[in-house]
Amino acid sequence: MIDLIKELTESYGPSGREEEVQKIVLKYLEGHIDGHKFDPVGNLLVWKRGRDDKEMLLDAHIDEIGLVVTNIDDKGFLRVEPVGGVSPYHYVGQRVKFPKATGVVYYEGETPEEQKKNLSNLAFDNLFVDIGAGDRSEAESLVSIGTFGVYDSYFYKNGNYLTSKSMDDRVGCAVLVEVFRNLKDPRHTVIGSFSVQEEIGLVGAFVSAYSFSPQICIAVDVTDSADHPKGLKRHAMALGKGPAIKIKDKMSISHRKVVELLEQAAQKANVPYQKEVLTFGGTNAAALQRTKEGIPSATLSIPTRYVHSPSETVSLSDVEGAVKLLVSLVDLNI
Amino acid sequence: MKGVKALYLKELSELDGVSGDEGRVRKFIEEKIKDKVDSLKVDVLGNLIAFKKGTRSNRKFVLTAHMDEVGFMVTNVEDDGTLSFAPVGGVDPRVVVGKPVRINGELPGVIGYKAIHLQKKDELLASPKFENLRVHIGARSKEEASRKVELGDYISFATDFRSENSRATGKAFDDRAGCAVLMEVIEQEQRYEDDLYFAFLVQEEPGLRGSAVLFEQLQPNIALVIEGTTAGDDPGLPEHQWATHLGDGPAVTFMHRGYVVNKKIYESILQVAQKYDIKHQYKRRTAGGTDAARLAKTGGGVPAGVISVPARYIHSPLSMIDLGDFENTVKLVSNILEEGEGFAR
Repeated sequence: MIDLIKELTESYGPSGREEEVQKIVLKYLEGHIDGHKFDPVGNLLVWKRGRDDKEMLLDAHIDEIGLVVTNIDDKGFLRVEPVGGVSPYHYVGQRVKFPKATGVVYYEGETPEEQKKNLSNLAFDNLFVDIGAGDRSEAESLVSIGTFGVYDSYFYKNGNYLTSKSMDDRVGCAVLVEVFRNLKDPRHTVIGSFSVQEEIGLVGAFVSAYSFSPQICIAVDVTDSADHPKGLKRHAMALGKGPAIKIKDKMSISHRKVVELLEQAAQKANVPYQKEVLTFGGTNAAALQRTKEGIPSATLSIPTRYVHSPSETVSLSDVEGAVKLLVSLVDLNI
Repeated sequence: MKGVKALYLKELSELDGVSGDEGRVRKFIEEKIKDKVDSLKVDVLGNLIAFKKGTRSNRKFVLTAHMDEVGFMVTNVEDDGTLSFAPVGGVDPRVVVGKPVRINGELPGVIGYKAIHLQKKDELLASPKFENLRVHIGARSKEEASRKVELGDYISFATDFRSENSRATGKAFDDRAGCAVLMEVIEQEQRYEDDLYFAFLVQEEPGLRGSAVLFEQLQPNIALVIEGTTAGDDPGLPEHQWATHLGDGPAVTFMHRGYVVNKKIYESILQVAQKYDIKHQYKRRTAGGTDAARLAKTGGGVPAGVISVPARYIHSPLSMIDLGDFENTVKLVSNILEEGEGFAR
């Protein structure tokens, strides 16, 4: 599973440009699903048929936050705007990877005072990207306006902890892939949605369940983990205590019935779990529950440190627990 | 293709149609296009949807433009005969001071403010607040005002359309420019391969509402949103912060608030522009949203592209467009349709 997480997190897939990651998912799922399709907005939907006529949909968003090029100057420097909730601070001195080039992000300032001012009040309008181009036309040949970039970061393992860019939400994608690889003769039909454009407004998840009739939907996503120095003090989530069953965040309240099912599944599989109330944020569950006439939905979270930074960190045991929990869920009566 | 004359731009710009009050605009468009399309309907929310059957009919292609404009609504008739009001859609209170307005499309009024003599220096620099602004309609009392106006009445800017040196000024180019583009396309009375739906939408400004009900009615396969978008090529802004530049042609959007434009559609728009040598530019800021975000998120999802006529000073009493950009937008949209089923495949 570590190789899968490494490959998924190191691949390129900012919102709206998810094809490369979806291909990796399909490669790992080969022989483990009964079919797949891409819907009109680009969601990758896969399924494995069950013994009865009930359906459950598991969702993980396949996009990651990033930058998009909005301008190129005469000297070949790029200007960028954020794709999703990106802090400009995370990019200072960091590298950004475009399909055909890698650039260094830095901030402007013509005097020490201006540099200090720009750094203490950092905005994307004060950032630029250096891709080593000599002039505008050279830059344009590598990275045209409208090209999307992601953190140039890499995966590594620190004991039980895994660190990489885009754990949000490739770790969720990895969980889904592993669930499908572990389904032998499932009780219910399981649909997997590898959804696009979550980071900019849950776009894909608003429509991914439309062509199915699932009894329940589970979004698998990351959540804030506050177990580091001066982490958000009202939050309980911590690495290593198991996957977190979300009760509520800013955008949705998990359906009670689905929460109970998730708890049952955890107990049956003997998987430690934690519960989660997040005081901000939201997941695809908010969109899934509002699809068609409404679908009971909840989120299963992987507690994650440093979300939306180039070094999002999760605990391997939480990830493995999430897989076991969901495999166990498939055999419960939904 | 016949020549583009911005046939209806003046009339569309001068009609009042703040979000929720699009009737005048709808009636005008309906009157002008009804004999040039196969069928027309007005849906429950007030969207006007015109249909033109395709020669192959394998795909449903929707073109949208929103009929509504930003403006205001009367919130109270005050004892002194003035009107309190609130914005409908995003309006900067600094641009409304001292401007003529129209209530319910006919009654003239002005938005007044303290004379400079009565302001202290720090007041001069501060932005006015809507709660301190009033519309004056010449009434001397609440009773007198109440004979003409009531709570909930619509207020719009009263700006005449003018055009000179291939630039036009007027109000509501966001998005009457888009409406005018669609009307020009209809005017050409051509049949294309795809089934075409021209959707003139309501209530885009307060939250992309009219477009929310298109999917259930049409199940479209692809959409193109035609907008009047912000230029931002002001002398005060460095060039790398401009969103678009007047005179550089229609702006093609790759991403805006809440939606990354479908890659295939985005790239196909650029290809068509290059193929027919149509001057065009990128929309170079990602702020602001369009109905494309709503279309992607409703029903089974509709992938959409966004093409805009650049306009300076939008959401104010007066905006400015370049008629060459307008003409090139009509050309680009027409050529996209001429590509037929091959477009964005």
